[in-house]
Amino acid sequence: MEIIKTKNLSKIYNDNALPVKALQDVNLIFEQGEFTAIVGPSGSGKTTFLNMIGGLDKPSSGEIHIHNTEITRLSDAKLIDFRLHNIGFVFQSYNLLPVLTAKENVSFIMLLQRVPAKWMDARALELLRQVGLEDKVDVKPAKLSGGQQQRVAVARALASKPRYVLADEPTANLDTASAMNLLDIMSRLNREEKATFIFSTHDQRVIDRARRVITLVDGKVAEDLKVKN
Amino acid sequence: MKMILTLAWRNLWRKKKRSFITISSVLFAIFLAIIFDSLERGSYERMIDNLVKYSTGYIQIQDILYEEEPSIDNSLLFDESVHLLLENHEEDISYYVPRLQNFALAATENITRGVMVIGIEPSHESKLNDLHERMVSGSFLLSDDKDVVLANGLAEILKVQTGDTLVLIGQGFQGVTAAGKYLIKGIVELKVPEMSNNSLFMSLSAAQWFYGAEDRLTSLLVMPHKPSNTHQLAGKLRAGLDAEWYAVLTWKELLKDLLALMKFDMAGSMVMMMVLYIVITFGMFGTIVTMMIERQREYGMLISLGMQRYTLAMVCFVETLFISIAGIIAGVALAIPLVLYFYHNPIPLTGEMAKTMLDYGFEPVMPLSADPALFIKQIRIVLILAILVGMYPIYKIFSLDIQEVRK
Repeated sequence: MEIIKTKNLSKIYNDNALPVKALQDVNLIFEQGEFTAIVGPSGSGKTTFLNMIGGLDKPSSGEIHIHNTEITRLSDAKLIDFRLHNIGFVFQSYNLLPVLTAKENVSFIMLLQRVPAKWMDARALELLRQVGLEDKVDVKPAKLSGGQQQRVAVARALASKPRYVLADEPTANLDTASAMNLLDIMSRLNREEKATFIFSTHDQRVIDRARRVITLVDGKVAEDLKVKN
Repeated sequence: MKMILTLAWRNLWRKKKRSFITISSVLFAIFLAIIFDSLERGSYERMIDNLVKYSTGYIQIQDILYEEEPSIDNSLLFDESVHLLLENHEEDISYYVPRLQNFALAATENITRGVMVIGIEPSHESKLNDLHERMVSGSFLLSDDKDVVLANGLAEILKVQTGDTLVLIGQGFQGVTAAGKYLIKGIVELKVPEMSNNSLFMSLSAAQWFYGAEDRLTSLLVMPHKPSNTHQLAGKLRAGLDAEWYAVLTWKELLKDLLALMKFDMAGSMVMMMVLYIVITFGMFGTIVTMMIERQREYGMLISLGMQRYTLAMVCFVETLFISIAGIIAGVALAIPLVLYFYHNPIPLTGEMAKTMLDYGFEPVMPLSADPALFIKQIRIVLILAILVGMYPIYKIFSLDIQEVRK
């Protein structure tokens, strides 16, 4: 099932001074259950594209359809609400709330969604179990390793049952063992929870696990490969 | 709401030292503001209390023309209608004090001097003040006394003692000649020099006879059971009297010049308080600005994840309120015992300052006011300042560019 569709998506920074074309007429479709890596050299537009389909930035022209909703036309408040219910985020630098425990960080999104407390607790514990942190539920981020924090971030991204998860360089700050562990978990969640993952990455370990690899060069789609993994 | 409170509360303890410093600045500011305000109000309350008790009373009924031209010719008739009015409001009135005041010439064998003759009802007057306890010699007046009591200053000037006699000559009601020879029954101590050098007391009935002003008073002081009901009681009395003949004045109207002076003086103190408030405001504002800069990336992330800007703004606002409320509670808790202690045990003054206060008939002490309104006022001011400071994060969050702060 088609969940994301971009139509002639373009983004130009510095409209008035020296224009930088970050994205040029990008036309892509993402299906549910994909495990996709967006690759390309620095400045190729990976993060810009992720920000666009994450509803974090507005395109200069073109359309973004997420499951029949044209998100570029949504107001700021509606877009925030849209993100809350449809998109999960995993950031490069984890970005957990330092004042909350691992379980509270995972529950936080559900709290914003007003999920009843009983279900919220059960899902948070289940997700933390799935990422192998059942023994760290009451630990605050400062006492977790980088890999563990990123696993909490993955659990948090999936807590809201989003249509897809956007991960911006999720392994960039992790050592090999932690990165491989994280990829194992995300692959399993992709299979078992039918979660759709879209990564922007430089990391060959991530690219090797992806079933689709989109290469961006100078803001244009240079290659779109389906890989058997 | 629980999430907002939890996040705000936990955020408060992220930088314990910073929170502690901000809470301390609010604490000291509100503590100092309460103490300053309490000292100032305490002095004024004591001054007003003294004036009301010894001079004006809470309410005065006068002839309509007396305030403009205080002469015995403008005295009021204390007739049945006034008696009935006082009886009708018995439940609101604690007691009343009738007075008849006028000038006369007092002469001894060698000295003559103008004096203020104050005709009083001793049993009523003793409820208002402690004149009867301030006798230097002799004894105080009784209701039907024909003798007089002199203030100590006047006795010295006239060089007379208890048991001596003096002659009084004056002009009575509507021009009648007032003259009589009086025995000095006692000498009373008055501390305000002007009053001490001029006052002569006689019973109300004797004064009315002397001035040919039967049933007349220059003022009728009315003391309510609850001073806070003064305004209401004055209104009731006003409604029951013929406005063509009677004026009902409250102590605020009688002491309006003094109150205006106090207000002017308080405006000076307000400048100092303003400096204090500015210090609090900038202390809190500094903390909030630093907090916003430190956390803007986190705020960008929270909005990205799906937290509405108004929810996030509420978290920051509640955090500011928590800091302020913690500071306020600590400051007030620190101030209350101190204020109560010095309210019950006023700071004694010594030296020149004490002498000056004694000269004016006031106790040489610096009392603190324990009026709850004072605490409420300061709490309200600091809370308003906190709310104003709390507007900054709200503004910043609503104008936050999540792309900019996530870079």
